[in-house]
Amino acid sequence: MRFRPGAMRNLADEELMQLVHDGDVQAFEVVFDRHASAAFSLAYRMCGRRAVAEDIVQDAFLSLWRSGSGYDPRRGSVRSWVLSVVHNRAVDAMRRLGAKAGLDVPDEGIAERLPAADATDAEVERRDDARQVRTALDELPPDQRQVIELAYFGGFTHNQIAVMLDLAPGTVKGRMRLGLTKLRFFLGEESRVTI
Amino acid sequence: MSGDDHIANGRACGEDAAAYALGALEPGEAEAFRRHLRDCPECQKDVAEFEQTTGALPDAGVRYQVPKDLRRRVLAEVRTTPKAAAPASRRPPSPSRSWRPALVWGGAFAAVAIVAVVLVVALSSGGSSTRTIQASTGSAELQITGGHGDLVVRRLPALPAGRIYEMWVQRGSATPTPTGTLFAVTSRGTASVGVPGSLNGISAVLVSQEPAGGTLAPTSAPVIVAHVT
Repeated sequence: MRFRPGAMRNLADEELMQLVHDGDVQAFEVVFDRHASAAFSLAYRMCGRRAVAEDIVQDAFLSLWRSGSGYDPRRGSVRSWVLSVVHNRAVDAMRRLGAKAGLDVPDEGIAERLPAADATDAEVERRDDARQVRTALDELPPDQRQVIELAYFGGFTHNQIAVMLDLAPGTVKGRMRLGLTKLRFFLGEESRVTI
Repeated sequence: MSGDDHIANGRACGEDAAAYALGALEPGEAEAFRRHLRDCPECQKDVAEFEQTTGALPDAGVRYQVPKDLRRRVLAEVRTTPKAAAPASRRPPSPSRSWRPALVWGGAFAAVAIVAVVLVVALSSGGSSTRTIQASTGSAELQITGGHGDLVVRRLPALPAGRIYEMWVQRGSATPTPTGTLFAVTSRGTASVGVPGSLNGISAVLVSQEPAGGTLAPTSAPVIVAHVT
C-alpha cells in the first residue's frame, strides 16, 4: 500500500511499525520524528555527553530499522519500547564509561531545548504529561525520590546507592518500592493503593 | 499490586521487583530475578506495573531537540542499509533444495574465522545472560532476555558493495538454518540485531558474510559463533 506524502503521519505507531517491518523508509522517518526527541533527551540526561547520547539513539533506531529488534506490540507502545532500549543502552554506556555526569546535566546544556512555540496538539499533550510526572515526583518524600532518580537517571545499582547514602541495601530497595508505588498512585495508574 | 511481600525460596521477593524495574539490581541479582519471574505471577504483575510507572519517568526531564546531523546520519544509514527480511515472510529453505551446508560449515569451523569472535552463553530456558568475548578485530555479545536474543557487534569490518552479514541458527548439531536476518554495520562497525523467535532449542547463533539479499545456505565461514548452552 502506498501513502500520499503527509498521509503517513496520520498513521498509528503500530501501523507504521508494520510498514517499517516491510522496509518502508518513509514510515521509519515518521517513527523517528515522533520518538527521537524523547529518546535523545533521555540519553542526554542520563549520560550528559551529547556524542554518547547521539550514538545510543542512533544504534537504537538502526536496530529498530534492521530487525525491529524484538519489538512486540503486545508488550507495550512503540514509544515505551524505544525508551526502554535507550535506557538500557545508556545504563550500559554509563557503567562502561564510568560516566555519572548525567546527574549534573544542567537544563541549559549543549543540546538545544525544544522551542516553547512548538505547540502542536501532540506537543501540548506531551507537556501536560510531563508536568504531571514532574508534579508526581515532587510529591514524593525526598528520600524516595532520591533513590528513584539515582537508579533510573543515574544508572546506579541499589548497592551503589546504599554506599553513597550510607544506607542498608534493603532500605534502598524498600524506598524504591514505596516510591514507585506512590508514583503509580499519583499518576493515576491505580485508583487504590496502600501507601 | 499486593502490599505484602510474597515469599520465594525462603525470602521476600517483592522488593526486588521495584529495583528490577528501575534497572538497579546488580547483574547477578537481575539474572536470578529473571529466573524467579518465570514462576512467580505476583512478581510478574509487580514488574509490569512498576515498568508502566518507570516508563513515564523520561517525561520528567527537559526535552531536547534531536540534533539535525543525528537525524541526517540515521536516515542516510537507513537509506543505504538493506532491511532485514521479516522472518515470517521469508520462506524456509526447501527440503528438496540441493545444498552442501555441512561441507561449508564444516570447513568453516575447521578454518580460522575471519573475525574470530566466539561467545559461550548460558541459557536456562528463558533466563537472561550476556557474555562478551573480545577479539582482535571485533567483538560481539548475545544479550538474552526471556528466551529471546539480541546480538550486538562492535568493530566489525564494513562489507564491500554486494555483500552483507547474514544470521543463522543451529539446533543441536544439525545444519545451521537461515533466520532471514540480514544486516550491515555502521561506519563504526556496530550493529544490534534481534535473533528472530525464541532461543529455546537453539545451540548456536552464527553470522557469516554473504551476497546481498542473503542465501539459503552459507557460502563462507562464520565470523561470529555464539554457543547457547
